[in-house]
Amino acid sequence: MLTAPVGLIRDLDPKRVMRAQVNGQDLVVWRASNGDISAWDNRCPHRGMALSHGFVRGNDLACLYHGWHYGGTGVCRYIPAHPELDPPKTIKATVFSVAIADGVIWVNTQGAAEPAPVPMASQPLRSFHVVSHSESLARACRTVAFEGAFPEQLEQGLYQLGARQVFLLENPLDQGRLQITALADADATPEGCAALSRWCEAVRRSAQEEKVAA
Amino acid sequence: MSRAYALNDWYAVADAQVLARGPRRTMLLDQEVTVSGTTDDLRVIDAEGSAYPAQFRYGHVWTSLGDAPRPLFDIPEADEPGRRLVPCGVVRVKCSPLRAVENFLDIAHFPFVHTGILGSEPHTEVAPYKAEIRDDVDEVWATKISFYQPQAAKSAEAGGDTQYLYRVAAPTTAVLYKTCPPKPEAMDVIAIFVQPRTETECDVWPWMALYDDVSAFAGLVQFQQEIFLQDRSILENQRPVKLPLDPKMEIPTRADLTSIAYRRWLKSKGAFYGALTEDA
Ligand code: FES
Ligand SMILES: [Fe+2]
Repeated sequence: MLTAPVGLIRDLDPKRVMRAQVNGQDLVVWRASNGDISAWDNRCPHRGMALSHGFVRGNDLACLYHGWHYGGTGVCRYIPAHPELDPPKTIKATVFSVAIADGVIWVNTQGAAEPAPVPMASQPLRSFHVVSHSESLARACRTVAFEGAFPEQLEQGLYQLGARQVFLLENPLDQGRLQITALADADATPEGCAALSRWCEAVRRSAQEEKVAA
Repeated sequence: MSRAYALNDWYAVADAQVLARGPRRTMLLDQEVTVSGTTDDLRVIDAEGSAYPAQFRYGHVWTSLGDAPRPLFDIPEADEPGRRLVPCGVVRVKCSPLRAVENFLDIAHFPFVHTGILGSEPHTEVAPYKAEIRDDVDEVWATKISFYQPQAAKSAEAGGDTQYLYRVAAPTTAVLYKTCPPKPEAMDVIAIFVQPRTETECDVWPWMALYDDVSAFAGLVQFQQEIFLQDRSILENQRPVKLPLDPKMEIPTRADLTSIAYRRWLKSKGAFYGALTEDA
């Protein structure tokens, strides 16, 4: 899986910056004022500062350390220490391919991002981190009851919970953690989504407890 | 890891206050050492009980682990009458000792990291200045630096241009001289003595020699510590953790002349402890 889900677009408002990880690569994912989303190596080419601590100025990402500005293509556009200088085009952040599908932000650090298909008509539910591995998470999904009944696993990541459905996208992180981006079926009401979201939280806790017990 | 050069330098491992509290067991160059005694009867030993030379200077206990220590650098201002000598405690930072020094030599970050104190937008421009390796004294110097500061010092009442001069006296020791608000003809002295615990962790001991008879001691220390904690939030988020000496790895600009000279100087001396070298 080269293209990985790093979260919901809903959780990344314009002018916001977040940190993510794909295939062990530390990333800054940020959204310009115009709504464009970029994912870069989380490292400023100047002095190596983590760009995830930076801030968005218009449609540029500014590094926290010396305020250098980088545009959406990763090219440095402004160096505050030399306001008159047109920065050499060689100063450029390492840029990765991003795609948006089903409200999910997908990143590929090795080629063009190709979102995985979602096997249902969906809406964004939530995103969370869990200290667990894939199998314990799947087990937790089958054994944490929803409205009095155990969910049924329909296929990898897809669960039937009564009339509802949840699809869980996994992105393995370091230190035995998983980043989960959860989608609900498109028909779920806000109340239905709130209940599914609570179920996700119970699954998260259950999967982590199993990890601790093991 | 190459400690070869670093072994023969001197490092601050305690100040008088720490010493008075009893023995301090600490790390220096990946080695455990214990500092104890009084300022005129010092003892530095390692885990096996071997003793190392120690001296009390600039408010701190200095030691060296090598067989042939170079002389401890001189800060003549420390003995000038009228200056207040202010040790500012210790700050633990998870970064290369060399990154800590390099950050101390950098003015371009003031408006972004020390916003409203040592710098502020839109006053971000770094005017041309001079940086050089002085072979006669084997130090890096940066001179003719001028920068707009909203509150240059605890004693400053208004913003204004501050003149700076930097001196790197050893790979882990840097001294800065800056115009001092109450006494325009003199310069305040602020130094950092970096104790390299490992290549990726250090204890930083800031120290000042000021003309400031007004501010309370605690206020001076607090001012300096606040600034240093802001620096720490940067230093712990730089990658790679070690300072790259290969000029291709990080792209400098004209404002980084001091940093360029510092890296070149380290490389020419083989001062690689805390550095990322091409062959590493
Ligand atoms: S490290 Fe990013 S601007 Fe200097
Ligand atoms: Fe600083």
